[in-house]
Amino acid sequence: MNKLITVKELSKTLGKVKAVNNISFSIKSGELVAIQGHSGSGKSTLLSLLSGLEKQDNGEIIFDNKKIGNMNEDDLALFRRKNVGIVFQSFNLIPTLNVVENIALPLFPTNINKNEMMDKAQKIAESVGLDNRLDHYPNELSGGEQQRVAIARALINNPKVIFADEPTGNLDSKTGKKILELLQSLNKEKGLTIVMVTHDNSIANVCDRIIKLKDGGIQDE
Amino acid sequence: MLRYAIKELVKRKKKYALNILVISLVVILLITLTSLNTAYKDASKLPFESIHSSIIVQKNGNVAENTTGALVSCSLAPIKKDLISNIKSLDGVQEVSYGLSLWVFDEDNFKRILGVNWDDSLGRKIKTKIYVGSLPQSDEEIIVEKTFAQENNIKLNQKVIISGKKFIVAGLSETSGKDIVSSDVYTNLKPVQDMAYNSKNLQDTETFDKSDINIIFVDAKQTKVADVSEELDTLLNNDNSLTGKTPTGQKIGSYSIYTPESFENQISSIFNISDKIVLLLSIVILIGIALILFKSIAHTITERKKEFGIMKAVGFTNKDLKKQLTLEVLIQVTIGFFIGVLISLIIIFVLSGLTVSVNIPWELNPYPHFLESDPSAVNTVQTYPLPIQFNPHQLILPLLSILIISFLAIQLLLKKIGRLKPMEVLKYE
Repeated sequence: MNKLITVKELSKTLGKVKAVNNISFSIKSGELVAIQGHSGSGKSTLLSLLSGLEKQDNGEIIFDNKKIGNMNEDDLALFRRKNVGIVFQSFNLIPTLNVVENIALPLFPTNINKNEMMDKAQKIAESVGLDNRLDHYPNELSGGEQQRVAIARALINNPKVIFADEPTGNLDSKTGKKILELLQSLNKEKGLTIVMVTHDNSIANVCDRIIKLKDGGIQDE
Repeated sequence: MLRYAIKELVKRKKKYALNILVISLVVILLITLTSLNTAYKDASKLPFESIHSSIIVQKNGNVAENTTGALVSCSLAPIKKDLISNIKSLDGVQEVSYGLSLWVFDEDNFKRILGVNWDDSLGRKIKTKIYVGSLPQSDEEIIVEKTFAQENNIKLNQKVIISGKKFIVAGLSETSGKDIVSSDVYTNLKPVQDMAYNSKNLQDTETFDKSDINIIFVDAKQTKVADVSEELDTLLNNDNSLTGKTPTGQKIGSYSIYTPESFENQISSIFNISDKIVLLLSIVILIGIALILFKSIAHTITERKKEFGIMKAVGFTNKDLKKQLTLEVLIQVTIGFFIGVLISLIIIFVLSGLTVSVNIPWELNPYPHFLESDPSAVNTVQTYPLPIQFNPHQLILPLLSILIISFLAIQLLLKKIGRLKPMEVLKYE
């Protein structure tokens, strides 16, 4: 498998705390990677650096042979749109858009034909089991359904990698399991690279690799 | 993006309804204010429109010792007819008409008689008011005003004696007694000039030559009215030795030059508003509107902070956000603007039912005050329908104002959103 992401001597300070402290590792294409650590260990900060949501202070991130650390805000936004899908713990859906529209959101600024866009969003919604919820709004959905919408939204732009920050953190264990199965199937069946932050060992154990963080550094890999 | 913009407006309609309402109010206030202002300015021209003229020239003279026979009022002293050619030569003058207006104190009644040329603009105007009979075919025929005819039981083809001269009633007219230089009797200029020339009382008061007149109506190009008026003042009022004054305070021997502007300050209505007040009100409205919109925008940023963070996280650039927000604002502006225009049209329609009162100065429609039991009754107030109308040009100011305020508001919004870091917004949710 090819290296999709290479991290070299990466550091990020938040206030006076070194949230990420001089770490290096790489992620191969098609891997399912868990990032684990105690609260405050820097796992979410690392995920936001890898996904281009934040910029590092030192070091570099090479994504598919491109350095993303030097990109400006708008270039990073375009990078995310083309390469990355992000799933948040708290779903982060737009309350005024229905399921299909929320899924299609990343495509809104593109030149894709409106009908084509909605068809694509609908197909992805169906593939994650939201067939009966297409016209529903976020406040009409359960937590599990909202997270499915968020995953479908992350898939709409055919990303090279999905970054998921505690994707089951706000769900009950049964629903969390289903979401994990969905992510696993995307990884196994479609070969999608998934990097997931979790504090749950049972979730981390199903991943190909676990990166354990402590005080911003890698404790174990 | 249009779909998202529409959904945003529909789903949060209560919030955006306020913005749309505010935009509509701006349009309504600005259009109504400018329409009213224009209407009252136009109203000041109405007394002149009734005589198809833009400038009136009269001469101030002496008051007669007694009230017998034919006289001229002190505001209508004799003017040499030679002056007409001088006025016609002024740049901007299109047509000049003239007449001779007399007060005639006969034993049986008092009457005002106006001699005119039926072919000039003044004559043509009176001609349109004849509702029965025909124009005078000779110097012995007259037209009698309807109300005067009724009050004095005068019928068509009847013989009438005026200042000792016999006339036949050729027609009856329906003119307003409140118009400028309104009259009870109209006829050819020549017999009225003869009447004035032969009046001992008049000749004792003023020197009257056979061809003299006492009122001149100048039709000037719309854009040249002020210039012509100024030139006339320079031409006619160059005698600094005048000392005596008429009962109304005018210098005896001086010329009075009236234009529609003479009436602008006399329109008696609470709605009479000047340009400066309109400008001030417009500025106050625009500042108020800008504050409301900016406040609404600040609220939008707080309320939609998370949404903007999500949009950025999934790949919206600042340019994409600008497009999205511009679209949302443009939809609000368009809806607010059209609602505003529609309501303005309704208001203008309702206001067109109002009337406006214009005080016609006594000098322009002189009437002997001693003939009225109430002397103030000689002051003429003419009432006209308010000439308010919608002019598409009135859309420019509100449209530009709203677009500029919206543009500034979007810039402010973008500046704040541009600084927004998606992770900072989303990590604490």
